[in-house]
Amino acid sequence: MKKVLVMGGEALRNHAKGPVTKHVLKRIAENPPPEDIRTIPRIIEDRCIMCGTCVKVCPTHCIEIEKDDKENGMIWLLKPQCMWCGHCQTYCPVDAIHIDRDPNLSVSLFSFNIHQDYEMLVAKGSYKGDVADKKLSELIEAGGKRIKEVEEFRG
Amino acid sequence: MSDVLKELEGILNVTLPGNLVEEVIKVEEGHFNVMSNVTNAFELMKILREDAGIYHLSTISGVEKDDEFNVCYHIQHRIEDEFREVPINLIITKIDKNKPKSPSMLEFFVAADYYEREIYDFYGIYFENHPFLQRLILPERWPDDVKPMLKEYGWEQIKEITMKITKEGLEEAKQ
Amino acid sequence: MTEQYRSRFRALTDGSDAPPGADHHIFIGPQHPWCEEPAHFIIHLKGERVVEADIRIGFNLRGIEKAMENKTWRQNTMLIPRACGICSAVHQNVYVRLVDKLAGVEDQISERARLIRMFSLEAERIHSHILWYGILAHDAGFDTMLHITWRDREIIMDIVEDFSGNRVNPALMLPGGVKRDIPKEKADRAQPMLDKLIKQVEYHKKVFTEEASIRNRLEDVGILTKEDAKKVTPNGPTGRGSGLPFDVRKATPYELYDKIDWNLVYYNEGDILATTLVRLDETLESLQICKQVLDQLESTQGELLARVKQKIPEGSYFARGEAPRGEDVHYGIADGTDKPERYKIRAPSLGNIDATLKRMDGEYVADMPVILRSYDPCFSCTNRVMIINEVTGEKMILNQDEFARKAIKAKKYNRPFF
Repeated sequence: MKKVLVMGGEALRNHAKGPVTKHVLKRIAENPPPEDIRTIPRIIEDRCIMCGTCVKVCPTHCIEIEKDDKENGMIWLLKPQCMWCGHCQTYCPVDAIHIDRDPNLSVSLFSFNIHQDYEMLVAKGSYKGDVADKKLSELIEAGGKRIKEVEEFRG
Repeated sequence: MSDVLKELEGILNVTLPGNLVEEVIKVEEGHFNVMSNVTNAFELMKILREDAGIYHLSTISGVEKDDEFNVCYHIQHRIEDEFREVPINLIITKIDKNKPKSPSMLEFFVAADYYEREIYDFYGIYFENHPFLQRLILPERWPDDVKPMLKEYGWEQIKEITMKITKEGLEEAKQ
Repeated sequence: MTEQYRSRFRALTDGSDAPPGADHHIFIGPQHPWCEEPAHFIIHLKGERVVEADIRIGFNLRGIEKAMENKTWRQNTMLIPRACGICSAVHQNVYVRLVDKLAGVEDQISERARLIRMFSLEAERIHSHILWYGILAHDAGFDTMLHITWRDREIIMDIVEDFSGNRVNPALMLPGGVKRDIPKEKADRAQPMLDKLIKQVEYHKKVFTEEASIRNRLEDVGILTKEDAKKVTPNGPTGRGSGLPFDVRKATPYELYDKIDWNLVYYNEGDILATTLVRLDETLESLQICKQVLDQLESTQGELLARVKQKIPEGSYFARGEAPRGEDVHYGIADGTDKPERYKIRAPSLGNIDATLKRMDGEYVADMPVILRSYDPCFSCTNRVMIINEVTGEKMILNQDEFARKAIKAKKYNRPFF
């Protein structure tokens, strides 16, 4: 059952339509990116307890925690290295991370702005020494969103 | 163990001699692990291939244990009328770590070639009677004595070697 | 058996070890306009007919297996989809099922989570198959079909993006369940789009079976008989085109594939047209599965995520899944810590190379692009980053960690990156 010009109708229809490219801008305006698009994670500073869960689960090691001797911590996010997997959001015990919905943040490794995009200081806070670390690592191991216990632990 | 062995024999419709099989473990319904040591593995595979008619080899994986290497042949027994497969993992145990040697199953499965060469690359296990045991996946400049999947080579060391050979390549390209 | 497949054992890059009778040698790749993927094909010809063919692989070793041994099970969940560019969901699914089995939470996963996983898998099969037969038409010189298929592929890509937030890599799965839910309004939005796509795929099938200009390029080309297929053990659509009716979804059912109504597609002809039709029919089947899944999602409720501990108990498991290209095989060993002791991945393309080389024997050289494309070749990309300093023209090769360190320093001390 071989025929020729099976696609003739399609060809004629497309010919009548005119160039597709002139509608592109209109189509982009009509179809904005979906609400749940994945981009870069943000940390809500008020909620962050500096437990370090996000640092431990991050597959690309793009979140770093830095501690000084005055028991203050800072969380750094290496923006070009982040692959927007959302693991930190899933495993955060206090729901302190949300995924940013701004599609303009979708920069690749090769289109960054030297002065802005290397990293962001995403949170500052205090931690409570080695004992705190140990207790928190136990909590992390237990897994799940055990907010209550974390709150108890913080006092 | 003997019950599981009988069940497997019933599925395959052959008798597996007790001296060739070390242990049979039923992982789940219709999924078996068969252990055999290096000296008996070839004979066992011959029975599985020629008498039981298993022709599909999914892959081969090398495993490094504390005091020995294991090579695991993942084969599928296919029941064509029911569109069903029974996965069997034939694990070859007791491969000496100092002089790793294992019989090549290329005679039974053509597909074994690539997988065996890959294990030779990554673990240095020598497959006897393989006609063309040469480098398959590792890059040309990779040093011969470094088998990257061994536990003695850490991630940092592998990175160092990779950087070194890439730099060499770049320098050569410059000249 | 080894003499029959002698072509595989030639030490050739310059043609010095050529088979007797061959008078021309064609080298394709690793960089070649026909094939975007880095593989090196060597084709020996006598006149216009192929005598033997060979392939070299390994231009793209990224060391994922080694990297996995150095990361935790949780981190690996997001590394594993990167094993393949286009069949990322199936790699993640096989990994996740393997971890579920080792951690012993298999029974706790709700039906709803399983349905969402299945939707992700089937959507991926649809877009991969549509992409593949578009490129096949392009290789056969029928570019109109390429554009039409890729236009229609956008429908399923939009659905995947809506559900998961990503176009190609949905990354919806986690050990113990799924990450995101599919709410009712999204499912309602997707149903008419799927109906539209079914119509389009039926039209594609009509073109491939009836239009002479494409059918003549595919029919009776590169025949792989069932007897040969049993020797070279192809998997997936390549095998099902040659009369080996095995699909992992039917052979050892996983997720809820045994509870959903779908048919196994296989053809006995063994030529390229048969593999094409297998994929076309499978696309239609997958679309039907997607619609069923969305229907069932309305009436199914359940927890999305069961709790999986960080440390996975000792054990080993061998898991398989049906990727768009064939059978995807993972073998994992856990030693009781939070890192895998050994993790082995075998992507389907490696198992299909033998069958493709066998197909080439005695064919015309003009059919090579179509035959080489028939098994849907898929290799992957590297993990190093190269940066060129524009001022000095000096090249640096950095891996990710060094890149990050450098970036931190540059930021901290407020100085330029290079």
